[in-house]
Amino acid sequence: MRVTQSMLSQNMLRNLSSSYNKMGKLQEQLNTGKKVTRPSDDPVTVMKGMGYGMQVDKVEQYQKNMGEVNNWLDSSDDALDGVGQVLQRLKELATNASNTGAMTESDRSAIKTEIDQLREHLQDVANTKVGDKHIFSGSMTDKPLYNKENKSFETGDAYKSDVSIEVFDGVNLRVSTDVSKMFSDIDGLLDKVKDLTGNGSSDDGNSFGKMISDIDGQLDVVLSKRADIGARSNRAELMHNRLEMQEGAAKKQRSQNEDVDYEKTITDLITSESIHRATLSVGARIMQPSLMDFLR
Amino acid sequence: MRSTFMGLETSKRGLYTQQSALYTTGHNIGNANTPGYSRQRVNMQSTSGFPGVGMNAGTMPGFLGTGVEAGSIQRIRDSFVDHQFRSESTKLGYWESRSNAIAQMEDVIGEPSEYGLQQSMSDFWQSLQTLAANPENGGARAVVVERGAAVADSFNYIYKSVSEIKGNLGDEIDFGTKTINSLLSQIGELNKQIATVEPNGYLPNDLYDARDGLLDQLSSLVPIETSYEKTGGRAPAIAEGTVTVKIKTTGDAITVVQKTDVSQISIDDTDDGALPDFMTGFTFSGGPADGEQLSVNEMVKSGELKSLIDSYGYIDADDNEIGLYPDMMTKLDKLANEFAKEFNKVHQQGTDLEGKPGLPFFVANDSGEFTASSIAVNEVIRKDPNKLAASDSTTGAEVGNGKNAKNLGDVFFAKNKELDGSSVQGFYAQVIGQLGVEGQQAIKMTESSGTLLLSVSNRRDSISSVSLDEEMTDMIRFQQAYNASARMITVMDEALDKIINGMGTVGR
Repeated sequence: MRVTQSMLSQNMLRNLSSSYNKMGKLQEQLNTGKKVTRPSDDPVTVMKGMGYGMQVDKVEQYQKNMGEVNNWLDSSDDALDGVGQVLQRLKELATNASNTGAMTESDRSAIKTEIDQLREHLQDVANTKVGDKHIFSGSMTDKPLYNKENKSFETGDAYKSDVSIEVFDGVNLRVSTDVSKMFSDIDGLLDKVKDLTGNGSSDDGNSFGKMISDIDGQLDVVLSKRADIGARSNRAELMHNRLEMQEGAAKKQRSQNEDVDYEKTITDLITSESIHRATLSVGARIMQPSLMDFLR
Repeated sequence: MRSTFMGLETSKRGLYTQQSALYTTGHNIGNANTPGYSRQRVNMQSTSGFPGVGMNAGTMPGFLGTGVEAGSIQRIRDSFVDHQFRSESTKLGYWESRSNAIAQMEDVIGEPSEYGLQQSMSDFWQSLQTLAANPENGGARAVVVERGAAVADSFNYIYKSVSEIKGNLGDEIDFGTKTINSLLSQIGELNKQIATVEPNGYLPNDLYDARDGLLDQLSSLVPIETSYEKTGGRAPAIAEGTVTVKIKTTGDAITVVQKTDVSQISIDDTDDGALPDFMTGFTFSGGPADGEQLSVNEMVKSGELKSLIDSYGYIDADDNEIGLYPDMMTKLDKLANEFAKEFNKVHQQGTDLEGKPGLPFFVANDSGEFTASSIAVNEVIRKDPNKLAASDSTTGAEVGNGKNAKNLGDVFFAKNKELDGSSVQGFYAQVIGQLGVEGQQAIKMTESSGTLLLSVSNRRDSISSVSLDEEMTDMIRFQQAYNASARMITVMDEALDKIINGMGTVGR
């Protein structure tokens, strides 16, 4: 075939531009760390990448939600621990008070005062706030469970309704604990003990005895509530671990799908660079000489 | 009987002819870098021998050569390769324009990136989840409203950008038809000049080159067929004649240039110069195709013009609206519509902070169906995020109830019949995937047709382009022949000197 200067220069130009193109692509990949920057680079990777990206965002969000779950459960458990202590103290007081023979008037009034304090403490616990949420108010988180105006614990359905937080696709953890009945029962108990103490009656100690067993009953209720919270905490812990695994898996999938393999890409770049250099040097050699250079 | 000076005459012809060849070599060298130039060659031929043939011609041994003349100056070109070149150029024109149109669309859609619709939907979902966990938090509400607005904005922005590019494509179609018209007129003009020159026995090589260049340009826009008609008169046998240009269609080709008759093309329904939403075709006026129509359906799928139309959108034989850009816009509209409708449905099932049923979260600007351009967040909710219906309470206000916020988040992943059974998120990923596949195909086709065109172009150059080395070699050949002819004259001169000054002096 007859070969002319214009063919050589055209071919060289095309070779140069295609190797520049390749290097540009590699440069982009190395700069962004991503194999693809537009759908036409690799439609499948881009499409999968969109799904994986969503997955990573989801897991991230669920982890945030998990923090919220722990917040609720830990605070609820702490608060119920406080309730337990109130009951223990009440039991001690009731036991003391039942010993009517040894009780002086001032002892009784001291017990009454302490019971008043316990009551207030109990009301405070019932109105425990985490952030701006009353955690024992069901879904009425803006309202305290103990209503100071009515001097009673709220009993509406909404105060008992469950609050749950999604921690994985379709997996919801209940974070609220329905304690409104428990609080009002304990409150009633406090009242009774106070009354009995005030009367100083109960010659046979029967009423106090019943009282103490009632207190024990409430302690059981508190314990079972705490056990429930503990069980949910365990489940949260499991979910937490699972989410961490999921996070790893999702990020790994995303990375495998769209991240650049630096070793490979840099090697490719070096190869392309060598080819580019060769193209340039061959071009420079071939374009230069012509018969002109050798004619006088 | 030959004349005394015949040798001088023979050598003189040699001088002239070699000189012509040298001049042509110079012309070739001069035009070595002229685009579209085909190298020229002096076709030398020996002049008719002596004596001439006739009754009264004297007899002598054989014919005595009388030298050389420049028979014609021909450009070196292969019309078959031209044909191949043009057909590849048409394909490249199509795919180059298509990959360009797709690349522009990819640019505005901006996936995958941290600024695309996908990311804003993902952010929106996250904010809904945060709201579900903290429904009493005013900040979380405000974030949901703003993220929702960001989703609406993304839809609006993408749609607007896509339709702007579509408008530009319309301008390009307009410009393309103007270019075609100008090329056709120029080809007609060249036909006219060629038809004037050829009958006088000349070969207008530069006019042929110019005309071939125009045909090359035309071929990248529309698929063409060419044929040639002799001009008659004293035209040399190798004269090309006038070109007849036809635009290929799926049926009969439409003749647009015949001799000096030229048709012009105009887009249908564009009296006001603005393109209709969808094209239907072209009408020809004047020249051989006067009054003929070319519908888009009959256009062959090659050439830049057809590619632009495929991107811009047209009405096919069954009255369907087809086109890359309109398709994308339809899909965006559908996605925006289904998403907004489903989202509103769930939102309206919930109750807001005050226990009132949810308002529509999204509204259409023009209060009709939701489209990608009309979707917006309800101003009432925007002003008062407490109107977000995060709760599923049926009895009244429940501040800490975020169940509906969670349901709202689920809208992204719920299968939707109207979206071919995909979820909102899935449908969008599919749209992007499909765009990518089409883009990838266009790029591949551009590359392969570009490579083919280059190889055809190389073949053409191998035949027609100027090689400086070759011209230098020719230069030496012709120079030596010229010198030798001059030397021949010196020899004749010496011989004549002998005859004139040296003969008939016997005994002097």
